[in-house]
Amino acid sequence: MRAFAFEQPGSLAEALAILRAEPDARILAGGTDLIIGLRDGSILSPTVIDLKRVRELDASIVETVGGLAIGALTAMTEIAADPRIRARYTALAEGAAVVGSVQIRNRATLAGNICNASPAADTTPALLAFGAVLTVHGPDGSRQVALDDAFVSSGVTTLGHDEIVVRIDLPAIPGRVGSTHVRRTRRRGHDLASVTIACAVLESGETRVAFGSVGPRPLLRVDTTGILADPSATDAARLEILDDVFAAAAPSAGSMRASPEYRLAMLRVLGLRAVETARARRDGAAA
Amino acid sequence: MRGQAGAAPGSDDRGDREIGGSPNRVGGIDRVTGRQVYVADVPLDDPLHVKLVTVDAARAGIRSIDPSAALREPGVRLVMTPQDLPRPMPRFGPQFRDRPVLAVGETKFDGDPVAAVAAETLDAAEEGARRVRIEWEALPAVSTLDAALAPTAPLVQDQALRPDDPLSGTNVLREHRYGWGDVEAAIAGAAVIVEGTYEFPMVTQFAIEPHAYIAAPDGDGIAVWSATQHPNWLQRVIASILGLPLAKVRILSPDPGGAFGGKQHAKYEPLLAYMALRAGRPVRLVLSLEETFQAVRRGASRVHVRSGFREDGRLAFREVDADYLIGAYADIADRTVAKGSYTSAGPYAIPAVRIRARSVLSHTVPSTAFRGFGNPQQIWAVESNMDESARVLGIDPVELRLRNLAPRGETFIPGDTPADGIWAEAVQRAARRIGWGTPLPAGRGRGVAVGLKSGPTTGLSHATVRLLADGSVVVYSGTSDMGQGARTIFAQIAAHELGAPLEWVTVVMGDTAVVPYDQQTSASRSSVIMGNAVLAACRDVQAKIRAMAATLEDVPAEAIAVDAGRVRLPDRELPIREVLVRGLGRLGGEVTGLGEARKDADPQHPLGGTAAFYEFNCTAVEVGVDEATGDITVYRHVTVSDVGRALNAAQVRGQDEGAAIMGLGHTLMERLLLDADGRIRNLGAIDYKIPTTLDLPVLIESEVVENGDGPGPYGAKGMSEGALLPVAPAIAAAVRDATGVVIRDLPLSPERVWRALRERDAAAEAPTLPG
Repeated sequence: MRAFAFEQPGSLAEALAILRAEPDARILAGGTDLIIGLRDGSILSPTVIDLKRVRELDASIVETVGGLAIGALTAMTEIAADPRIRARYTALAEGAAVVGSVQIRNRATLAGNICNASPAADTTPALLAFGAVLTVHGPDGSRQVALDDAFVSSGVTTLGHDEIVVRIDLPAIPGRVGSTHVRRTRRRGHDLASVTIACAVLESGETRVAFGSVGPRPLLRVDTTGILADPSATDAARLEILDDVFAAAAPSAGSMRASPEYRLAMLRVLGLRAVETARARRDGAAA
Repeated sequence: MRGQAGAAPGSDDRGDREIGGSPNRVGGIDRVTGRQVYVADVPLDDPLHVKLVTVDAARAGIRSIDPSAALREPGVRLVMTPQDLPRPMPRFGPQFRDRPVLAVGETKFDGDPVAAVAAETLDAAEEGARRVRIEWEALPAVSTLDAALAPTAPLVQDQALRPDDPLSGTNVLREHRYGWGDVEAAIAGAAVIVEGTYEFPMVTQFAIEPHAYIAAPDGDGIAVWSATQHPNWLQRVIASILGLPLAKVRILSPDPGGAFGGKQHAKYEPLLAYMALRAGRPVRLVLSLEETFQAVRRGASRVHVRSGFREDGRLAFREVDADYLIGAYADIADRTVAKGSYTSAGPYAIPAVRIRARSVLSHTVPSTAFRGFGNPQQIWAVESNMDESARVLGIDPVELRLRNLAPRGETFIPGDTPADGIWAEAVQRAARRIGWGTPLPAGRGRGVAVGLKSGPTTGLSHATVRLLADGSVVVYSGTSDMGQGARTIFAQIAAHELGAPLEWVTVVMGDTAVVPYDQQTSASRSSVIMGNAVLAACRDVQAKIRAMAATLEDVPAEAIAVDAGRVRLPDRELPIREVLVRGLGRLGGEVTGLGEARKDADPQHPLGGTAAFYEFNCTAVEVGVDEATGDITVYRHVTVSDVGRALNAAQVRGQDEGAAIMGLGHTLMERLLLDADGRIRNLGAIDYKIPTTLDLPVLIESEVVENGDGPGPYGAKGMSEGALLPVAPAIAAAVRDATGVVIRDLPLSPERVWRALRERDAAAEAPTLPG
């Protein structure tokens, strides 16, 4: 590993000042992506800014008006174990529970998973399906960014170099909801996904499907026909909707994890399974 | 027959200490608590850290190497380039002396080092390695069988390395032919002929401890630490390359953290030795996981099998035509081809057999020994062919094996060791355990396969056993305990024979300056060959105790028997310890025994010697297939090995289960992927997957057949590879049973199974042409 300066600012203002002064500085929250890059030389950074001592940031999950606010330093283990997330935002708990391995989940933060912007990230489809909103602190103060507006492509977001995510808000969901996160990996043990889907079925009959690993960024599509949420809908009827939902999927032909053909086929297979699991959960059936 | 002398007086768990019991692993606590000292952990005064310098190509022409910038890097002390080595470049290798200490003029595989940097810290060494300026150009590389065998293919190996070999103008390193009987007549007379081609990809050993090496000047000689399976072989290589007498080369080999064949022969030890002598300081190189992928692997293969049967299902003939894709340097790869192919017709009585096997050089990582030693590739092909044949013949696959297995005592390969086990017993027990023939839920299937591997063809092990004045014991053995539990087995033998509690036995290994010669740790030999040497050394001690007892008791030695820790006098029995203490008297001292076990070479034999024993395993599995995704779930995995005698029941079970799981890795998920230029794409753990606990069978059950018919101590056979051999064909047969699809290429990844299922469905839907 190449030598780098290690900064531990005590406030957001200090952290932002370092970021402004060091265009190649990198932020460390959990470090589970950053350290690997620093070790293998794919990331060369003269300065690493550790956020763990920033007084405005914390690892917390607090209730808001009907929803939840998740602090920027909250680790995957805490997300996966939180009873409120498991009950109302089940897909997020399930996604967080399969990030890396136990050791990685103890370190990796939800905010880091978002900012790393991997198309295969396990939590971002669920966050998209639940309409997550980021609170971002920058030189001009705070602003809010809908997660769907944050992603551009692999590793690229609309957030500035001198902006730091401080909070992720999960808005309230009216009425009963069922959700799930499913994915395709090459083995059952920890692995990077070749298809990720989060599905939330609402009491209103709206179904939100977000999917990743099949294009440069995760995508959200919303079905308002009520067909996906309808317990009596046939697979054929649901597939017709899902084919529209997944129409924008564009998996890379260069990946060694799965061929585009297989990924597209698995989107349909897993999509159908996810919809039915989420619907059954909404309706109180054991999934 | 079972002794009880291993039990401590008053011990209430005596059963676990007997031969065949399950005493705790010697060194096991240190291994699982992180206290064990691996080569990477060995404390050194003032060491330098080494980083290899490579170019990003499968094959490159090296125009120049400029170390000046690297040498200016703070902390860098030495940059070793081919210029700094003797000319001509020293070469080494177990079969061919073809591997250079550093690539000279041309690199031949992705990861072939052209230089190495030694520095005060690893970070400085890495920085220095980045700053070595190399001018190079990519050269055309061959990384597949077809490319390497093409008439216009570039030659991987310099023709001058084998001047008298007619094959030296090709990439075929060697071609092996075996056979017997009148194959042509058998073809003409066969009722049914079934054939197919089966592929087995490159896979890597993935030992959890990466390869690691230290070299240090040692007085007027050199000391080399290596996580090696063959310390004495390494000693010869270093001595020969440096021109030193063996006595001036000390090899220290701390217990490796897994080896699986990948740590048999020298890799970077000669380079480290030259660097240590040049720097005048200890130098240490610990490979990363990525670098181990670039150091060792299993040979890939394409095997064509053609089997002929009589009406009654008896084999009439078998033809095997195998090409193995080996690497850029031969290492031991051609021996794996020869040995794996020699038994490729299987454990069956077949009147006519014709086998051809070629080892084909390529610009890829040198393929090495790997648990199974060339056999898993053949067994994947031949046992899959057996399963397909059973369908064609309309004979149950278990029954087809039983009809053809060679009975114990029958010569099934002319000129070699006859069948040395009741192999049908293993098949019958596996079939019974899996519930063969009973109804299954929809989507499930069962498969069965057998595996046979020839054990060591030669062997030589020495052991020393010292019975100290208090009755405790020190055993000296040159075996490497790489996780297979050799220390425990030798301690059990000594405890049993000399009547010491197991905790009173110390097993010393891993230092050629201390322990006597051992040929190698390979081919599942150590319990048998080194075990016999330890047993012989114990018997030597027993003979001296007998002489002591004769003097002390004033009875003729012939009237005294010593065994299992007891001295049997005409009128009474005494513990060995009691005779020892009295016999040593006031001066004390000790009794030392020497033991040797050897299996001599047979120059007339195609492999240079007959099989010391055979490893035989039958594996039966039950799988479920998710037809929408191609996922395979192994619900039950039954493995039955013929072990002769299990010396340690828990270790035998551990070896069988470990081998079975390792087999599931190459069956279900493992494969090295190369790009079009021959570079490894999935270099490292992110995209090369091995099974985790979540990927194991729902239920894994192991049984052993114990008929005491092995050549090792108490009737033991070697057994550490058998349960890996038939995993792939057993799983594939079960997938066929569940779905009807036959897959002839590994791994059986979800995508591959899904594709096969789609092809099946497309074929079913295709309109039938009018006949």
